Amino acid sequence: MTPSFGQRLDRLGRQLSPFAICMLLILLSVAPLRVPVLSSAAPLLPLMAIFHFGLFRPALLPPWLVLLFGLLLDLLAGSPVGVNAVVLLMVRHFVEANQRFLVDKPFPVIWFGYALASAGAVAGIWALTSFLFWMPIDPRPAILQYLISLALYPLAAWVFGRSQSTARAA
Amino acid sequence: MADRVKVGQLTASLRGLAQRFAFGLLVLAAFAVMVIGKADTIIVERVRTAVVDVATPVLNVVSRPVQSVNDALAEAHDLLELREELARLREENARLMSWQSVAQRLEAENKALRSFFTFRSGPQATFITARVVGDAGSAFVRSMLLNAGGRDGVENGQAVMTSDGLAGRITEVGDSSARVLLITDINSRIPVLVERTRDRAVLAGDNSRQPRLTLMPPGMSVEPGDRIVTSGHGGTYPAGLPVGVVASVGEKSVRVEPLVDWTRLEFVRVVDFGIEGILPATPAPAAARRQPLP
Repeated sequence: MTPSFGQRLDRLGRQLSPFAICMLLILLSVAPLRVPVLSSAAPLLPLMAIFHFGLFRPALLPPWLVLLFGLLLDLLAGSPVGVNAVVLLMVRHFVEANQRFLVDKPFPVIWFGYALASAGAVAGIWALTSFLFWMPIDPRPAILQYLISLALYPLAAWVFGRSQSTARAA
Repeated sequence: MADRVKVGQLTASLRGLAQRFAFGLLVLAAFAVMVIGKADTIIVERVRTAVVDVATPVLNVVSRPVQSVNDALAEAHDLLELREELARLREENARLMSWQSVAQRLEAENKALRSFFTFRSGPQATFITARVVGDAGSAFVRSMLLNAGGRDGVENGQAVMTSDGLAGRITEVGDSSARVLLITDINSRIPVLVERTRDRAVLAGDNSRQPRLTLMPPGMSVEPGDRIVTSGHGGTYPAGLPVGVVASVGEKSVRVEPLVDWTRLEFVRVVDFGIEGILPATPAPAAARRQPLP
């Protein structure tokens, strides 16, 4: 039986959504938010999406795509090129290596996994950027950024999950 | 025939190897890009401006709803503080009126004095107004993207100002986009002077809200509230642009609060003062277009 047009569209939607969401979040993270605290510590939206889809939709988020997303983020954000690419690839690898322990677990366990992965990611970005600029960067905004992202992760995960279930239901 | 089988086996095993090491190869590629970016900034900058040029129209659209949310928040905030704001503005108005009379007197005096000498006025500044379409909100870099670029006359090294004061300078120019390195960025260094004492120093960003004064001459006296303006040394900025106010004087460092209100930065002015900066990234066309100083 050949799939109907609707089914094919549905499949395309499901396959596209991690890609589209990551793209949108990369653009959103570069858009000017003029909230005083967030202007130097905006939530790490692309990192959350890479963690989530790396865990639940790894086939739709191959490592080469993560590399491209990381490079795009670096190019747009003005950070040294390659930093986010390396770090997001590491996060993707961490999720893949620990998928057995995380997937199908209650949400707090996944949240804990995100806390570990994003701590490593923020520390990695801080270390690489400090090394490339050859001067120590004040880590406090990065820590704040980490905490804000950690607090927002449940909301983000819920939105990502909804996007998947609506894609399936449509 | 046997050769073809051998080649097939070889490609199959190569493919298996590539799949096994795909992740490692990708990480290596990312590191390679990082090294290239550090060693050869021109290639990376070219790619960056091309990507930003493509993304700017999209960012322009994405930033608008974000802007309306920001506006709504700002408006709610303003409504709450309407009464205090009115009182503050009345007081400021009274103060400015007295300044206006001083300015008028000085202008007349200036005119009179100029007529005594054959005064040569400086080159006329030209302005390009641009919308801020990107601000990464990163903990590591402080930069903004503008929706004006080379075709609007934006050039590397030009000063970027708001009505309050200096915001930064142009560091990358695309066709229809440009990047501003803010004065708070860790890579920003601006030759400044303390307006009251005329002491020179360098204002160095460190990614915090308040950049610090460095390379101060020994025995320099500086107090909180002193205005900091550009000194004009180094040729990047003309002298006298307002930058900030000294916020705190500590044993280790002197912090300066920039005059720019970062939370309301929607439009900025890119200013061409006709100065040959220290960043001649596009020398040939820039030099050809620029008029010689009078």
